[in-house]
Amino acid sequence: MIQFYPQVKLVHVVAVLLSGGLFFLRGLVLHLGGQWAMAAPLRYLSYTIDTVLLTAALMLATMIRQYPFVHGWLTMKVVLLVAYIVLGTYALKRGRTRRTRVICWLAALAVYAFIISVARAHHPAGVFA
Amino acid sequence: MRSTRHLWLGLGALLLGSFAVLLWIGGEIHRVKPPIPSAVVTTDGELVYSRAQIEKGRQVWQSIGGHQLGSIWGHGSYVAPDWTADWLHREALAWLDIDARRHTGRAYDALTEHEQASFVARLVPRIRENTYRAETDTITITPDRATAIAQVAEHYMKLFGNDPELLELRKAYAMKNDTVTDPEHRHALTAFIWWTAWAAVTQRPGKSITYTNNWPYDPLVGNAPPAHLLIWTVFSVLFLIAGIALLAWHYARHRDEARLAPPTSDPLALVRVTPSMRATAKYFWLVVALLLVQILMGAITAHYQVEGQEAYGIALAEILPYSLSRTWHTQLAVLWIATAWLGTGLYIAPAVSGHEPRYQRLGVNFLFVCLLVIVLGAFAGQWLAVMQKLGLEKNFWFGHQGWEFVDLGRFWQWFLFIGLGLWLVLVGRALMPAIRKGGESRSIVTLLFLSTVCIGLFYGAGLAWSEHTHLSMVEYWRWWVVHLWVEGFFEVFATAVIAFLFTRLGLLRTTTATIAVLFATIVFLAGGVLGTLHHLYFSGTPTAVIALGASFSALEVVPLALVGFEAYQTFKLGQATPWMQRYRWPILFFTAVAFWNLVGAGLFGFLINPPLPLYYMQGLNLTPLHGHTALFGVYGLLGIGLMLFCLRGLKPNQQWNERVLSTSFWAFNIGLAGMALMTLLPMGVIQLSAAIEHGYWYARSAELMQQPIIQLLVWLRVPGDTIFSVGALALAWFVFRLWVRPSRKPLPITEGAEAQP
Repeated sequence: MIQFYPQVKLVHVVAVLLSGGLFFLRGLVLHLGGQWAMAAPLRYLSYTIDTVLLTAALMLATMIRQYPFVHGWLTMKVVLLVAYIVLGTYALKRGRTRRTRVICWLAALAVYAFIISVARAHHPAGVFA
Repeated sequence: MRSTRHLWLGLGALLLGSFAVLLWIGGEIHRVKPPIPSAVVTTDGELVYSRAQIEKGRQVWQSIGGHQLGSIWGHGSYVAPDWTADWLHREALAWLDIDARRHTGRAYDALTEHEQASFVARLVPRIRENTYRAETDTITITPDRATAIAQVAEHYMKLFGNDPELLELRKAYAMKNDTVTDPEHRHALTAFIWWTAWAAVTQRPGKSITYTNNWPYDPLVGNAPPAHLLIWTVFSVLFLIAGIALLAWHYARHRDEARLAPPTSDPLALVRVTPSMRATAKYFWLVVALLLVQILMGAITAHYQVEGQEAYGIALAEILPYSLSRTWHTQLAVLWIATAWLGTGLYIAPAVSGHEPRYQRLGVNFLFVCLLVIVLGAFAGQWLAVMQKLGLEKNFWFGHQGWEFVDLGRFWQWFLFIGLGLWLVLVGRALMPAIRKGGESRSIVTLLFLSTVCIGLFYGAGLAWSEHTHLSMVEYWRWWVVHLWVEGFFEVFATAVIAFLFTRLGLLRTTTATIAVLFATIVFLAGGVLGTLHHLYFSGTPTAVIALGASFSALEVVPLALVGFEAYQTFKLGQATPWMQRYRWPILFFTAVAFWNLVGAGLFGFLINPPLPLYYMQGLNLTPLHGHTALFGVYGLLGIGLMLFCLRGLKPNQQWNERVLSTSFWAFNIGLAGMALMTLLPMGVIQLSAAIEHGYWYARSAELMQQPIIQLLVWLRVPGDTIFSVGALALAWFVFRLWVRPSRKPLPITEGAEAQP
């Protein structure tokens, strides 16, 4: 499988950018008052991108033989991912006030950026390493 | 009534005739099964293997999970090789090498293609010759062959042990290190596997086909499909077309029957939920729990195909090896579906008769505890067996029998059989007043009850073999349970229970439904009973098995080809009245059952059913393609539909979370389609092509299965499996919220009992 490493990594990176880009766009539209940010086709597109992202992530972990809860930087990524999902949910759906939603959206984007820095550094401290 | 009586008589005659033939075939299989010799000796008089070793070897194979780790005669699991085909090919190569070195001084691999062909031509008649002599009860082989056997046995001793040289191969096969800890047991295991390979390559006395009808395909030993495989395949297609034509004609004739005007309110909303009915709720909680664990076991099993001994850095094979995760995955599939059906039977029976027998609730609770004890006890025994902690003496009774879908130790089998008996008693005593009352619903209630009786009693066939029963006979009886359940009585139960529910809802006339169900039962069982034989083409059975199996299993597909009628009718009935919205989700799950019956059971089933295709496809990934789409697609979704139907009754005034159910429904169906179309089908087709080009052994080899394209296809399971898991989690969340902080929203007037006049 290692023969496919560059291709799988490319898929993973593209999926990360698409996922984050879509989240940014949906949040922005929602906060500007556009209801189509929560339209079904966009939601299903988001699920599809995230499923591809997850699959590629699992493949990469197996290929390089580094795993969450075994290697610190991947553990950090998983923990941050959970935080990102929770914040994202509050940003787009669960946040009761506009203020909560905006704060959660910005926090989720910050977490997203930090996950990328952890991935690039292969270190739990990411950009602060 | 007259037509009902005729149909009952027809059904009786059909069952009598079919089972008479099935039993006769069983006698024939017993008569011509491949012999297990008292000794295998060389012409120099050296003992190679004894019967005791072959039989002990089978016990060892069973104790490590049997069918759940590789396959024998094509039956079993798909990551490790088919041991029969693997041994046979290795033995042939070893013998060719010995022969080549003796005559040319060079290794067989170093010869030219032309030279190799001449050695193969010498090998084929020698390896296929039947040297078993009944008078001495021995098989005599040449010293060269004994040397070849010893070489292969050494490879197997290393493979099933802990030899570092074969670590990568063990990983490719998803085998734990020290699969068999005792060297003597490992040696006995080689005796058993050799015997299965001997039967696969040795010609029957006076015939040019081997005991396994020349299976597995391997040109190196002269194993190629005999002519009758093609002949019966062609005839089976003809029977299928003729059957479809006849059934289409029947449907065309009866399509204009008058519909029943639906009642203005939900008749079932008036059903009094008795204490025993309420007690069935825990069965449905258990269904959800078992389904979630089953999916987890499936994910682990699939992951072993990528990292043979680990899962994301955890040395999982040391505590939960592949053969165990797969055992539990397949067992739990049967167990949660069965639990859903048991719960449904216990819920429906008092609802139908309006009669709550004394101590019925106690019985329902007691049976539930028994089920828990069986699941936990049997699984503990299987863990101890596979981890080689139980010992061979106790394995048969309390450990792992190694027969796929009937893996439970014998003690647990008996316990389950008695449990099923108790279930029949509980359902029967509650239903009896409705049957005694007579009237037009008597027939359909009786039919429903009879199908449950058959489900219960036919598990008894799983008790027909003992610890040392011949492999061919165990396969014969095993398929009585597995096949007659899923392709016989489960189908009847599914048809009967759905029609029955519609009659209780007042949407179908009881007489019409009874005739339709009786007719469908006859059609299902006409192919279903003798269709059992299509699993036994290559299990040491006579040619008659192929003729009958091919003909009747083609007929099994006939009703499935026209299941669209049923799907359409089910869907239309779901929209018959406004209050049917209450049953929207059970109905949609029933509609999906019809869809997967056509695709999973019909199309993917017929793909591997006829003798010639199955000759190449048996044990390839086209088998789990059929397995997943038919077992979950049909019976799994039916179980969920029935559960939702009962939950509607248990929580009559509760607003359902439609969104969660919608997520569950679509995620289940899309996920199942994803795993089938993105992984199992393409992988199976690649294997099929490899089997036809190089031989069956190659299609199952690490050489093929470790290729990047196969590994990529394995990974492509993740999207489908993930979506599928979302479906299960959504269902679990739905059931959880019915009891924990349920919705307080009032029901819309058209949906609830408030709509009653």
